[in-house]
Amino acid sequence: MGRHHVVRLLVASGARMSAASVTVLPRRIPPTILVVEGDVRIRYRVSDELRAWGFKVLEAGSAPEALTVLDAVQVDLLFLALDLPGTGGGWDVVHHIRERPTKMIVTSRETGPSDSPGPFVRKPYQAGEVAALAARSLNWPPPTQA
Amino acid sequence: MSTSSTHLSAQADSPLQTILVVEDEVLIRLVIAEYLRECGYRVHEAVSAEEAMLILQAPEVSVDIVFSDVEMQGEMDGFGLARWVRANMPETQVILTSGADRSADIAGTLCEAGPLMKKPYHTQDVVDRIKQLKATAKRF
Repeated sequence: MGRHHVVRLLVASGARMSAASVTVLPRRIPPTILVVEGDVRIRYRVSDELRAWGFKVLEAGSAPEALTVLDAVQVDLLFLALDLPGTGGGWDVVHHIRERPTKMIVTSRETGPSDSPGPFVRKPYQAGEVAALAARSLNWPPPTQA
Repeated sequence: MSTSSTHLSAQADSPLQTILVVEDEVLIRLVIAEYLRECGYRVHEAVSAEEAMLILQAPEVSVDIVFSDVEMQGEMDGFGLARWVRANMPETQVILTSGADRSADIAGTLCEAGPLMKKPYHTQDVVDRIKQLKATAKRF
C-alpha cells in the first residue's frame, strides 16, 4: 500500500539523550478489525467505512459468532457493540477474551460503562468517527495520507 | 477450472459489482466474502434472510447478485429469500447453495443459471458462477 511512518526515537548517547529519525519499513499488511454488531444496517456501514480506510474487516452479528471468529482468526482490534442481542450482550465477548488481551473499542445505545474495556462510542455515531479512533489505536494513517 | 469458466474469466469484469453473501455459518461467510473482495467485488454480508432483506431495501445499497445458503436460522430460508428477491427485485440475480441434495430440484426452479451449488464448494467456483450469471445477463 506504500504506507509508512516516520518515528522519532530517543537514543542514549553517553550520558545524554539525542533524537534520531528512523524510517520504518512500509506497513504492507492492513490491521484486521472484527466488527461485532447485531444491527446489520449499522454493521455494514461501519464495516464499509473501515474498509475504505484500508483495514481488513471481518463481521460478526452476535456474541457466539464473534467468539467463533476470535478462536479462528487473529484480530488486531475488536469493535464491539455491548448492546448485542442475548442475555449477556457484548459483555459475553468481553468476559470470554479476558485472558487474551485484545485492543477494543466498544459502543452502545446506553451511556458508557464505568468499567469499559476500551474507548467508548455512543450510538448513533458517524462511521468516520469510529474509523479515526481505530486508526489512532492501530497507528494507521487515514486514507488521505495513503 | 473448466473451459467455460476460463472463457468467462477473460471477459472484462466490473470491479464495482456488488454481491450480498447470506450465510449463517460465520466462518464460511467470512471466507467466501473475503475471497470475493479479493476478486474485486464489493461485498455485503448478512447472517439471515431477514438481514439480507434489510440490506437489499437500504436506499444506498444496490446489489447485483445474492449468494445465499438455503438452510438458515430464522423464519425465512434461502428459498424464501430467493422468491422475495424475484418478486421485489427481479433484476437482482440469486445463487443458492446447500449441503442438502434434496434442495437441488427446488433450487433449479428459482435460479435461471442452473441448479444450486452444493456445499462444500470451492471459492473459485463461486466466482465462476457469478461471472457466468453476469455473462448470461448481458446476452439478454
